[in-house]
Amino acid sequence: MARAGGIINAVNVGIAVQADWENREFISHISLNVRRLFDFLVQFEATTKSKLASLNEKLHTLERRLELLEVQVDTASSNPSLFAT
Amino acid sequence: MIEVEQSRPLNPVMTFDEVSMERSKSFVKALQELKNLRPQLYSAAEYCEKSFLHSEQKQMVLDNLKDYAVRALVNAVDHLGTVAYKLTDLLEQQTSEVSTIELNISCVNQQLLTCQTYMSREGLRQQQLLAFIPRHHKHYILPNSVNKRVHFSPHIQTDAAKNSFQARARLRPSGIPASKTLSWHLASETKSTLKGIPHASTSTEDARTSGKTSEVFHLIDVEETSRTKSSAAHLQLPSGGPASGAIVQTSGATDAMESSKALTTYRSFENQNRRAIVRVPVRSKSVLSSFFVKQKTSKMKAGSVA
Repeated sequence: MARAGGIINAVNVGIAVQADWENREFISHISLNVRRLFDFLVQFEATTKSKLASLNEKLHTLERRLELLEVQVDTASSNPSLFAT
Repeated sequence: MIEVEQSRPLNPVMTFDEVSMERSKSFVKALQELKNLRPQLYSAAEYCEKSFLHSEQKQMVLDNLKDYAVRALVNAVDHLGTVAYKLTDLLEQQTSEVSTIELNISCVNQQLLTCQTYMSREGLRQQQLLAFIPRHHKHYILPNSVNKRVHFSPHIQTDAAKNSFQARARLRPSGIPASKTLSWHLASETKSTLKGIPHASTSTEDARTSGKTSEVFHLIDVEETSRTKSSAAHLQLPSGGPASGAIVQTSGATDAMESSKALTTYRSFENQNRRAIVRVPVRSKSVLSSFFVKQKTSKMKAGSVA
């Protein structure tokens, strides 16, 4: 009886260990995917930041050019005698 | 998410602004849904913890927890992917809009530069046109300016007198330059005589000068006739001796006449060429005659010395 009990205990421990290993594997899979998700998010943030920075720089340049054009047009429109032939 | 996209009404007739607005709305919605996942995951984690602690069937709770964790992770990845895709699409749209704006600004800039270039060229052209540069002298432009001397004989004399009389009665009009050249006056007088219209000279002095110059030319004609006569006489006398004095005299006279002629022609040409406001010098017969006498005496002296 004791011997049978011992065997049963060993089997239970074995099953428990196996279950534990499965659980650990499951957790590792989950953690790995979460880390991959995190890496994707970091990469996505860097790419979006660079795109936004270039867009911002383009807008700044366009603003300056527009201001220059506005000044030139105002100068031209303020002196209509220039257009008289 | 697929159900949401299918439920969206497909409206083909939409403007560019409406499309951009729809895109931004969908991005905001996806972001909101991603944000809502966090409290859902927190509440699910608390429920699983309490049920595992208080429940007797722990293995079943654990298996349910594993399935829920996998599905939650997949859901979160799906939401994140949607948000990332919509954000990238929005950024691309904005970049294309900025590029279009840049092209339009370049077009406006080019148009402005073209206008400026045109204005500068127009200004230069106008400035160049303002400067009046006379190309031809008057005596090249006036009619019958070459054959003046041929026509200057008896007709002019009478008409000159007539014109001078008429000019004295009239006032000098303003705005006409005082220094009318001799050739201009003569040409105008010839024109009037040819046309038969009485010509109103500009000033009395000019009329006098024209009259006087007509007299000068008449004198030149007289000199020419005398010169021809003297040359004929010179040819007739073959030998020298007693006729030498006469010859010297005639030659002296001819020389004087030639010099005077040269001088008058030089003076007439000078008057023609002069553009400046200079009055034509008034010549009288007495002055010319005195000049001839002086020349004659000088030539006589030169002849006697030789």
